[in-house]
Amino acid sequence: MIQLFHVTKYYEGCLALSDISLRIEKGECVLLTGPSGAGKTSLLKLIFGSEHPDDGQILVQNRNIARLRRADVPYHRRTMGFVLQDFKLLPHRTVFENVALPLIIRGLSSFESRRKVIEALRAVGMEHKQTTHAGVLSAGEQQRACIARAIVNSPIILLADEPTGNLDPQLTTEIAELFKAINARGTTVMMATHNRQVVEQLKGRIVRLDCGHLLSDQGTCA
Amino acid sequence: MSLRTHRASTLIGIITTAFTLTSFGTFLLLYYNVHNLIGRVQTNIQIIVYPKDAIEPQQLQGLQKAIQADPAIDSLTLISKNDALQDFKKQFPDEAYLLEGLGTSPFPASLVLKLADSIPSTDAISNLVHRLQQNPVVERVRYNRDWIERLTLVITYMEIVALIVGGVLALASITIIANTVQLAFYTRQEEIEILRLIGGTNLFISMPYLIEGAVIGGLGGTMALGLLRGGFEFFKHKTHTLSVIGGFSSVFEFFPFSLSLLLISTGILLGCIGTLTSMYGWMRFRL
Repeated sequence: MIQLFHVTKYYEGCLALSDISLRIEKGECVLLTGPSGAGKTSLLKLIFGSEHPDDGQILVQNRNIARLRRADVPYHRRTMGFVLQDFKLLPHRTVFENVALPLIIRGLSSFESRRKVIEALRAVGMEHKQTTHAGVLSAGEQQRACIARAIVNSPIILLADEPTGNLDPQLTTEIAELFKAINARGTTVMMATHNRQVVEQLKGRIVRLDCGHLLSDQGTCA
Repeated sequence: MSLRTHRASTLIGIITTAFTLTSFGTFLLLYYNVHNLIGRVQTNIQIIVYPKDAIEPQQLQGLQKAIQADPAIDSLTLISKNDALQDFKKQFPDEAYLLEGLGTSPFPASLVLKLADSIPSTDAISNLVHRLQQNPVVERVRYNRDWIERLTLVITYMEIVALIVGGVLALASITIIANTVQLAFYTRQEEIEILRLIGGTNLFISMPYLIEGAVIGGLGGTMALGLLRGGFEFFKHKTHTLSVIGGFSSVFEFFPFSLSLLLISTGILLGCIGTLTSMYGWMRFRL
């Protein structure tokens, strides 16, 4: 599903990732852990196609991301979902409109979109909030809406960068449960987190990074 | 949608575009009217051809046909020797007695040529005059070469100035619209980030901005047209009473429909160019 071969990345001369090699199978739940600046976000960005490695190769569904043309990046991103710590929702749009955005981009019919959006909102327990503007939602609700948007396209891979970073322990538990449920349905989940609670709850494969180096890889625990 | 959400920046964009296009339009209107005025004056410029005294009627007809076939000539009037005499008597009734006793009219017959409405180049007129002078049945040709040349020079200079001023103002419009759109980009950076995050192509992301730029440009152009029309009517009303240019005020014309449409289209085009410039600089992608 995802393969990294000796990936190295620099930011303005500073080493962000050094000689990382990883192999992630379909349906795995991988937790990238490590302190701030360990290279977790950089690794996710490389897989997502928003950065190019300075050295090495990255294969996502047998497609070499390192050689991806600029014009093909959006199409690559449509095959996966991305959840961020700061939610990234359009505050002036309703929850429904926010979740429907990836489907609009794909050009799906409004009927099909509606069905998929409702399905995604039901999966995160936000069906009743579909007409509410995203700007007035609580942090937990915003993250749920964000997850709904990430899974509305039924992605094969779900990437998450500190999705519980802005949430209290109670909400963290709820969100972690959501990721667990999404992973149980066969979606490969790759999450960057330094939240011990999430790590313990998800019981996934733990990949430890520090200063751009791969410290340990605890193998598959899906 | 975003135009309504970001009313203030949109309004600023429309107003600045309108003012820039009004400056450009004012110059265009001035150029248009001066061009019209010169065209009217030029149609009054005459070339007078004097055939030889001994010309046969058939030769005269041939000469007339040859002249009329020239595209630079709008009309031709034959003034016979007798007509010339009558004209003299009409213009100088006190001196008419001087010609009494002369058997035939001492004045030569002439062909008065009026130039076509579309201003021919001085070269074309010179060539025509040269050809007429070479004609064996023509005695001489008279026309005010200096006047025509100066007139053409004025038009040429005006066209050059129009091109430069137009170019500078168009560049100013593009810059203003580009800045407005760039401002919109900064305020909507988050929105663009989200669209990129969920797999929006550059075209998908940029299309609303392109439409926005076109709308800003189009509305700015329409507003400029309104301002120009208002200003033009005010100017015409004020100058009507002035004796110096009052006579000319009826000659002044506003843009015809096609030029008005062109001004609005220019606004739309500048809006699109401004948006594309801004996008290229800010988002750093090729469309």
